[in-house]
Amino acid sequence: MIEFNLNGKTVRSNADSETPLLWVIRDEFGLKGTKFGCGIAMCGACSVHLDGNTVRSCSIPISMVNGKDVTSIEGYDDKHGLQSAWVEEQVPQCGYCQSGQIMQAATLLDKNSMPSDEEITAHMSANMCRCMAYSRIQKAIKTAAKKNQRTVSTFKPTTSAEG
Amino acid sequence: MNWFKRTSEGQSNDSLQLSRRKFLIGAANSALVMAFAPLAMPLNASPSELISEKRFSPSIWFEINKQGAITIHVARCEMGQHVGTALAQIVAEELGADWNDVQVKHANSDPKWGFVLTGGSWSVFQMYKPLSQAGAAGRIALIDAGAKLLGVSPKDCTVRNSRVVSGSQSISFAKIIQNGVFERTFTPEEMATLPIKSPNKRHTIGFNKAALDIPPKTNGKAVYGIDVELEGMVYARPILPPTRYGSKVISVDDSMSKKVKGYIGYEILKDASNWIEGWVSVIADSYYAALKASEVIKVKYKPGKTAHINEQDIIDEGHKLVNESSPGVLFVDDGNVDTAFEEADSHLSATYTTHTAMHFQMEPLNALAQYKDGIWHIHCGNQSHSLTLPAVANALGVSHDKVLVHQYYLGGGFGRRAYGDYAIPAALTAKQIGKPVKLIFTRPDDSKFDQARSASVQKVSAALDADNGLIGFQHNICAGWPTLAMAPPFMPKGKDGNHFDPFATSGSDHWYSIPNTRVRTINNPTAQATFSPGWLRSVGPGWISFGAESFLDEIANKIKADPIVMRLTMLDGQGKNAGHHPHSTHGAKRLKAVLEHCRDLCNWNRKLPQGEGLGIATCFGQEREMPTWIACAAHVALDKQSGEIRVKKIYMSIDCGTVVSPDSARAQIEGSILWGISLALYEGSEIKSGNYASSNFHDYTPLRMHQMPEMEIHFIESDEFPVGLGEPGVIAVAPAIANAVFNASGVRLRTLPMKPEHVRNALKKQNEVGV
Repeated sequence: MIEFNLNGKTVRSNADSETPLLWVIRDEFGLKGTKFGCGIAMCGACSVHLDGNTVRSCSIPISMVNGKDVTSIEGYDDKHGLQSAWVEEQVPQCGYCQSGQIMQAATLLDKNSMPSDEEITAHMSANMCRCMAYSRIQKAIKTAAKKNQRTVSTFKPTTSAEG
Repeated sequence: MNWFKRTSEGQSNDSLQLSRRKFLIGAANSALVMAFAPLAMPLNASPSELISEKRFSPSIWFEINKQGAITIHVARCEMGQHVGTALAQIVAEELGADWNDVQVKHANSDPKWGFVLTGGSWSVFQMYKPLSQAGAAGRIALIDAGAKLLGVSPKDCTVRNSRVVSGSQSISFAKIIQNGVFERTFTPEEMATLPIKSPNKRHTIGFNKAALDIPPKTNGKAVYGIDVELEGMVYARPILPPTRYGSKVISVDDSMSKKVKGYIGYEILKDASNWIEGWVSVIADSYYAALKASEVIKVKYKPGKTAHINEQDIIDEGHKLVNESSPGVLFVDDGNVDTAFEEADSHLSATYTTHTAMHFQMEPLNALAQYKDGIWHIHCGNQSHSLTLPAVANALGVSHDKVLVHQYYLGGGFGRRAYGDYAIPAALTAKQIGKPVKLIFTRPDDSKFDQARSASVQKVSAALDADNGLIGFQHNICAGWPTLAMAPPFMPKGKDGNHFDPFATSGSDHWYSIPNTRVRTINNPTAQATFSPGWLRSVGPGWISFGAESFLDEIANKIKADPIVMRLTMLDGQGKNAGHHPHSTHGAKRLKAVLEHCRDLCNWNRKLPQGEGLGIATCFGQEREMPTWIACAAHVALDKQSGEIRVKKIYMSIDCGTVVSPDSARAQIEGSILWGISLALYEGSEIKSGNYASSNFHDYTPLRMHQMPEMEIHFIESDEFPVGLGEPGVIAVAPAIANAVFNASGVRLRTLPMKPEHVRNALKKQNEVGV
């Protein structure tokens, strides 16, 4: 029995300990926003957060998440600034990779509130978009970063470490 | 106008089919319904009776409920192009709808929709006229009813924001539907003469509307085929045989699989159509258990005859065929090519090769099959019910009316999901075990079952007169033919009466005026026997234009002409290149205009640093009958040490007539430019021992963000008929890069993908001969 926190709720799974987290999230807990793309951690469609870091859920055995915090795209509940930026910049085409792109981008902004073009490219080149909507992904990350800064300086000027 | 329409008898596409139908407007379930219906209908029933009693099978219809919500039914799939939004914009424009009231619904495989294929960059081109007319008919009915309620003459009414307006009075569509009476039939003749808005009065077409499919694609809620579950289903993973065709299973040993928790069993699949041969399906109560069990199952085969075939065998076959005296099917034959070549002062010829290229759409192939109440329900994203449904029915050995295909979002199509043969193993497994089955291909399974763009060989020859005038042009092209593999009845006849694949031919029938031109299109039987050649985004023109447009620069170099000036001279819009109304109005002159535009956009005559170059190419989209006029310039930098080609910037000028959805149109061009670069530089596989050598993203490497250049994209403002946009942006990129590499270094690359070692080898050769 493995127990972990999925999007703020404690969940338990009896799946074989080697089962990739991806299939447990999708098929056992029914959260289908996390996608299967390659199975070898090369494309990023299955990206989720494990204790605040982006991981490829297709290559993380369920035994490794015991007692940890897992966030999938559903955990954002449409409230993450990247999601509205994704709509504003009309990023998705087929959309299949976009949950993974957003999860990947989120950890970039967590660590670097105003990334440069080069930093965005370096971080996001780990994720494949077969429709190649890359220029809009770049743009949307910048849009979200700018908005985030404005929000921070307007409402929480004293608590913002990044200013 | 497209190949499927032109060549299919009885199964025409919707614009043709709709022109033979009448249009009904009536009330059903207190909603206003507008529908195309067959001409032969009961005479004693009103449109409302016919609609509400479902006494006919309506196609392309939309409805407005009494709250004013407008639902437009779209018989096209959503695979990234936001087609539902574009088609809804066309209806909303004529109807006078408030965009906030509009939603779209995607259709299932009911035959009432006619022959449906989302591909070929056809959707807007095909649907623009019928949807405009349908919207206009709806507007007239709403105005008639609204005018009555307002007590004014319909002549004094207009529509705006889902309201009928007359002077200072107005009434909402919702109110009209609650209180009005609708019984209206338009004959096909009336439909054809309905007044369509003039471009300067538009409020929806040509304006950016947020794509309706985007919000659910940012929160994980969009449902793709792979996300569908049904009560009582089990999971399966296919085990693919050593060759695409002709393999037989000799024995299966699943003793190790039985130790896997959740393993249910295996099935050797029996396909009544023999499309898949030698397949085993491994079944379990979870997908992971199916994966684990499949890894330890032992299958012995008798492989098919192509187990020894390699890429080079296909290329060699291509070389042999393009050099025969009159091979393949005669596609273009203008003037007298033989005489031109005999009388020429000089000749030039070159051979171009492209390697196997694959789809690698992000969502691995999958389908869920269930037999319920006598019907096979197939759940999967697909580009064509019309091609997928018969494939599944034939494999199951049932009639076509026993299969229903349910549509979902596609995690990429790019041509791979047109012929949905991936539903066959799901359906056969479900049939053999008597349970609903969700069958998912792993990425390596998906790659192995790809319908790749065939390797190709093309030989282009030119005849020049004493003044270096281009008097003769001969183009022999050879590849595996997708349409021969998957939809042979759709192959049209060439000039010699033989059938050919337009999707491995189109692009060679260019718009340059050359007095004597001949094109021969040749099937590569070795490719055809080894794998199922496929339709890959941009299809034939995607590789044929690489040969044609590279060769034009080779001619320009030989005769010391500027490649743009030389092209402009040949784009005179005379004779067959004059075009015709409405689809190709002004013909080649529009290609000339985009070329001039792109020349200025890229500042063509500027001086560039050592090792950098600009290259140009043009294309006309997917077909002469639906020309998307494009000129592309590539700015490249060459690292002579490593041989690496870096694309610094792509410039593209596009005339696609009326742009229905500007931002989505731009998104398509952004993506397709990068596809063009990817296919030119980074994507290429090979056939190895009868299979594709690439299996996953570690050995098939489409472009990623760090390889993206700057892009400058310009759409020419135009009120002409809208044409296709999903693919054409891919085509001119590869030849523009090849031409830029030549201009940067003098190295002529004639193979796709253009790899660093090709550059290094060519530079070495250049040094050896002291050029």
